[in-house]
Amino acid sequence: MDKRRINGPEISVKPIEKKSTQPKNNKDDGIRKNNRSVDNIRPIFIKPNVIKKANGSAYYEAENIKIICGVYGPRSSKRSMVSDEGTIYCEFKFAPFSCNKRCGYIRNAQEREYSLIIQQAFLPAIRLNLYPKSSIDIYVTVLENDGTTACLAAAITCISIALTDAGIQMYDLVAAASATCIKGNICLDPDASEENDTNSKFMLSYMPSLKQVTHVLCTGKMEAEQSIEAIGICIDACNSIKTVMDHCLINSH
Amino acid sequence: MSATTVTPGKKLGSIQEYEVGPGTYMRNNYIYSSTVGDIYIIKDVNKKLPCISVVKDKEQSAIPEVDSIVTGKIIRVNPKMATLAIMVVGNKPCKDDFQGIIRVQDVRSTEKDKVQIYRSFRPGDIVRARVISLGDRHSYYLTTAENELGVIFAQSISGETMIPISWQQMICPKTKVMEYRKCAKPN
Repeated sequence: MDKRRINGPEISVKPIEKKSTQPKNNKDDGIRKNNRSVDNIRPIFIKPNVIKKANGSAYYEAENIKIICGVYGPRSSKRSMVSDEGTIYCEFKFAPFSCNKRCGYIRNAQEREYSLIIQQAFLPAIRLNLYPKSSIDIYVTVLENDGTTACLAAAITCISIALTDAGIQMYDLVAAASATCIKGNICLDPDASEENDTNSKFMLSYMPSLKQVTHVLCTGKMEAEQSIEAIGICIDACNSIKTVMDHCLINSH
Repeated sequence: MSATTVTPGKKLGSIQEYEVGPGTYMRNNYIYSSTVGDIYIIKDVNKKLPCISVVKDKEQSAIPEVDSIVTGKIIRVNPKMATLAIMVVGNKPCKDDFQGIIRVQDVRSTEKDKVQIYRSFRPGDIVRARVISLGDRHSYYLTTAENELGVIFAQSISGETMIPISWQQMICPKTKVMEYRKCAKPN
């Protein structure tokens, strides 16, 4: 027996294999493979206060996307930076088992980039002037990935709930929505198979009450008119996500 | 007083109606909520407008501010300063310790040149202090130059809780050994 490693139990069972879901297409528009219309987002479930040790936490689920997030702070900043305002630190990680291809324990370039995007998306929303010399640390783990851009958008929505749960003062909640372009149509909340078919990704984070955009991410092939259209569609989606978030926060209060 | 639950970003009213209280902020002449919680409207006789605040059940951990009273434990001393781990701000406990330092000139207000750190604080003492500035990148600067501030709990070498007998001395009830401390006025 190898004592240097964590050994599995002696008795093991065969893991349940994931059945490949047959693409259904009952919708008459015929643009999307799955059973959704272009402006339809997956139903969202959010639960705050799931990690006892964290100041604030939230769990997010939308069909196959599963994300857990913990917020620690405001706590004394360990980094050697003098600032009159608080700082945000974020660690975004895909769990090794979350994607189709196993990803490593060490954060890769994409995860680092997403961490920065999350920091940028929350900078205008948190009242950092109230937290001098402190840092707010956000740790996000994607437990199941079904569309990378959709995961990033879901993470931002999830963090909003966790920050509010931690009692951190914010100007507004931040909601985020993702989109892609399929055959010239803007489709909201793309899943993994749709993401593989196209090479355009769009993500927008938005403060619904203040009507302000905090971050826009647009990569791949997309016409200027399409991206403008996508902004409008994503803002509408964020407004509907906001009602889910409000509902969740008021119920759990 | 009402008990309506609001979420961050919810418009609560205009600044002509209310004063900005905790958990709210002002933007373009309107007051918005900045946290999730119940609305409380408190009328103050001295002020014209009632104060609106949003209160959350779950307290967030406190952070030290300038002029707040903090309580903490001395973790190390050297001839220039004593280092304190801040554990309580006001009455609220901190989830994570903040580091503060009491410099030799901030120990007491009189005879500052005669202050010796090791005759004022020892590691392990519980000290009440006031924040004078946010300090450098590592620590807050604290002062104990007030009667009410200083050592509030200390143990002697034999491990007994010592009793203050003067502003500068504490006595061990078991061995009757006197040790020097910057004692706080008991309240």
